[in-house]
Amino acid sequence: MSIPKLSDYKDVVGRDVVGELYTLASHVGNRSIKMVNSTAVGGGVAEMLHRVVPLLNELGIETKWEVIKGGADFFDITKAFHNALQGKEGQFGQEIFDTYLAYNEMNYRQMSFDEDLIVIHDPQPAALIKWQNKRKNKWVWRCHIDMSHPNPQVWEFLRSHVELYDGAIFSSPLFSPQLDIPQYLFYPAIDPLADKNRDLDSDYIVGVLENYEIPRDKPIVTQISRYDPWKDPVGVIQAFKMARKNVDCRLLMVGDKAADDPEAEEILVQVREAAGDDPDIKIIFLTHSIPTEINAFQRASDIVLQKSIREGFALTVSEALWKYRPVIGGAVGGIPAQIIHGYTGMLVHSVEGASLQIRSLLQQPEVAKRLGESGHQRVKDEFLITKLLKRYLLLLLALDHPGKATILLD
Amino acid sequence: MEVGFSVRVFQFSSSASLEELTGRKADTLDELLELLKTCSSSSIFYHTFSAFRKLREVQTPYTNDFAVWIARSLNEEALAEKLLAIDLAEYNTMESLRSRIVELLEGYKGENPSLFERTATEPFYLYSIVRFVYFTDKFAYNLSSFRQLLDTISIDSLYYHFIESRMQSQLKTDDFSSWMQENQDYKELAEKVRNIDINIYTLEELRVRIGEIIDEHL
Repeated sequence: MSIPKLSDYKDVVGRDVVGELYTLASHVGNRSIKMVNSTAVGGGVAEMLHRVVPLLNELGIETKWEVIKGGADFFDITKAFHNALQGKEGQFGQEIFDTYLAYNEMNYRQMSFDEDLIVIHDPQPAALIKWQNKRKNKWVWRCHIDMSHPNPQVWEFLRSHVELYDGAIFSSPLFSPQLDIPQYLFYPAIDPLADKNRDLDSDYIVGVLENYEIPRDKPIVTQISRYDPWKDPVGVIQAFKMARKNVDCRLLMVGDKAADDPEAEEILVQVREAAGDDPDIKIIFLTHSIPTEINAFQRASDIVLQKSIREGFALTVSEALWKYRPVIGGAVGGIPAQIIHGYTGMLVHSVEGASLQIRSLLQQPEVAKRLGESGHQRVKDEFLITKLLKRYLLLLLALDHPGKATILLD
Repeated sequence: MEVGFSVRVFQFSSSASLEELTGRKADTLDELLELLKTCSSSSIFYHTFSAFRKLREVQTPYTNDFAVWIARSLNEEALAEKLLAIDLAEYNTMESLRSRIVELLEGYKGENPSLFERTATEPFYLYSIVRFVYFTDKFAYNLSSFRQLLDTISIDSLYYHFIESRMQSQLKTDDFSSWMQENQDYKELAEKVRNIDINIYTLEELRVRIGEIIDEHL
């Protein structure tokens, strides 16, 4: 499939939503943005930039994307920073910070920052601003990671750089610290026209289920998530087994594993043990998932679970809601932003809670249908790439009027 | 019925908003009261009017974030219901709305003092908002063209004129009925539109309801 153009989104999100983007872009005028991050491939940030950058250009906002360079020592340090900011304990010597700063300075010297807005993604390039004196343009730091419990030493170091910016962007209020600069909320977003989310022919869905030998004789309850203890795959199996005492159904577990994650093999052993030889439990372990197949699994499901016990944002919830699926999610991380309990899905706090909701939704299809419909609306309002584009346009306008609560656009 | 010209052309506007985070939160009702008393009026706007816009569309009974938090994280449904009963249509300044919410919470505290010290299961996070208002290229020259355009304006435009602009104009009425009111022939129609209960419809349902009332008049 060719890369979708902005006009292709009209049929999905509505003509008025796309029209509004063009209207706002006309108020923004001839402006330019540079996005800077640390990787061109892999991970949600790069995946999103691949879509956002061309669409912003289509709106007339000249947008470039540059990736910083660094040796293995730099990326070892930034990975350790990443883990520390997500809560891992540890103490760092001064030489670690010096090496980090040396690579940031090297990159700064090799790059130019002439655009109207510079958006620096995540901690790796966060210190680039340190060498930018007397700037005329605006710099914003975009944090994609869970900063709810940051390691104080690393955060204090990073904060000294972050507060040099004109603003910061976080994915959730849970991750927002008190800062002396304005902070904006940008939810992560899904692309409704990407292979993982676009409409599929029903024949294709049937074919995928046949290929994986998944009978459709009973309702299907599915969790699609990395095999990782924080996604609680063993808890999912326990909840399913409890629910099945009351309602006949199948469980489909689909997941890949992070390439450098030795724990994935171990958790998979635990999952298989928990499943035993139950013929109604299908465990699929993918080394590389195919987006249209994931899409098909979601669309074929009667209920989608995301029973995480710790979570970043969990866009898998939005993916399923977009497909009108009723979703049962753990009440952690970004999941409650997507699921308003009882209205756009069900939030649970335990295996027992998940089991009860599986029973309840499978036996009340009207309730499940209503949750799916409201969930779809919630995603349409907040978690689509078109909303992300709108946020970037509004950010450009807001930065022109610092401190103003209402801005009348002429 | 022959439709005459109104006294002025109605140009449709729309609004957009960018959410701001403050890094401030409340774990108890006492802390929420403190936030309510000290936060910006933009924060009050975000947690009431903006929440109303979003929550109605997913058909929750909630019309503000305070009620959602009190029901969900403190399980204090009676207080949440009292907050839900606040009719946004009756408030035309943020300060009057803030006073009403504070008064309501303080009244409840008088009867249930210990409740205000209880720690919620999840904190309440305080947001703020930057609003943007802009003209669209849609103009109504009379009631017929207004009726036709009503079906084509964006949901944000509908929200702006029928709900949000009450704050801007500081009038206890919406833009649509104000415009209709200007024409002698439409006074009765204006009253019917003004009396629509904004608390029970989604925005799409409001669009349909306004359209039905105008159709009856035409």
